Amino acid sequence: MADEEVVDPKQYLEESCKPKCVRPLRAYQACVERIKKDETGQKHCTGQYFDYWSCIDQCVAPKLFEKLK
Amino acid sequence: MAAGRGISQLLKKQFQFGSLFPSVLSSVKQQEAIGSAGMKSFGALALLGIGISGALSFASFASADEAEHGLPAPSYPWPHDGILSSYDHASIRRGHQVYQQVCASCHSMSLISYRDIVGVAYTEEETKAMAVEIEVVDGPNDEGEMFTHPGKLSDRFPQPYQNEQAARFANGGAYPPDLSLITKVPLLLLCILVNCNFVKLSIPFLGTTQWPELCVALLTGYRDPPAGVMICEGLHHNPYFPGGAIAMPKMLIDGAVEYEDGTPATESQMGKDVVTFLSWAAEPEMEERKLMGFKWIFVLSLALLQAAYYRRLKWSVFKSRKLVVDVVN
Repeated sequence: MADEEVVDPKQYLEESCKPKCVRPLRAYQACVERIKKDETGQKHCTGQYFDYWSCIDQCVAPKLFEKLK
Repeated sequence: MAAGRGISQLLKKQFQFGSLFPSVLSSVKQQEAIGSAGMKSFGALALLGIGISGALSFASFASADEAEHGLPAPSYPWPHDGILSSYDHASIRRGHQVYQQVCASCHSMSLISYRDIVGVAYTEEETKAMAVEIEVVDGPNDEGEMFTHPGKLSDRFPQPYQNEQAARFANGGAYPPDLSLITKVPLLLLCILVNCNFVKLSIPFLGTTQWPELCVALLTGYRDPPAGVMICEGLHHNPYFPGGAIAMPKMLIDGAVEYEDGTPATESQMGKDVVTFLSWAAEPEMEERKLMGFKWIFVLSLALLQAAYYRRLKWSVFKSRKLVVDVVN
């Protein structure tokens, strides 16, 4: 029987994959800074967000199922 | 030339924003046909104006081009992927438990009967016990009235709503789709109707990604939206969903279900199990199909070798004959 607190392996893997995806992460953070001053409400960082999460997904997906039953 | 520059700028904007302006292109040709220098520069300015206003109208949508197609789902190494691999039946059983406790309140699975799951995930007794818990409408009886009886193995999985309208009404205009075939690649286009305040957006959805992958990614992929993106009231952000705004809230939460076999019910575990169950539901014949496929491809390749040999045997007469050309001088 596992311990009382269930820890989602996906969260853990996403954290451990962050070092591999530093560049898209920095790009996203830079974008967030850039649009902070935006008044029009039209600017958004979807592109950088997708690049970052795509990188994380590629890293996590092969390893995730080994951690699950 | 001014017209040439205008056209190249317009084309750049087209590629940038992925919009199609076929009518504008035809008007470009018309403009050039008209001819004089004054008209040409005016035409270029007009095209620039069209290009800019077209670009701005696209920018006014909260979703960028990428969000319109959704974040591509990554490939997972499913245990049933291989050429002779079967389903993980324990996973199907857990997945059915997740479906029943989490999803069945909104999603129907009207193509699956209780008898289908006997021998796959549950024994006959267990399935019968599950079936009698539901009430099934039957009739009319001799008095002309409809009556209900407890479910039997031959009955379909119960539907949470009477009809689509009831489903939409209960879910703020969004229809929770039937899950019987959700993991199969459907027809080329699947239109998902989303109600956002007063506007119904029909988002054409090209099946470019694998559906089981997409289901897992969607169920476990609820995240904070990117900076600058506003999600309509009543919708939730999910980058894998085309458009980024889905009506379904995050349903898989750690510990939501207590598995019978004691497996820790994390979000990704539940996602994997429920999608295995849905894959089985969409393709219950998969195991038999793979066995049959392997056997028949082997048999047919032997037959191919035999046929090739026989053809060459029969043709050897002609392939090895000599033709003599008698040239008369």
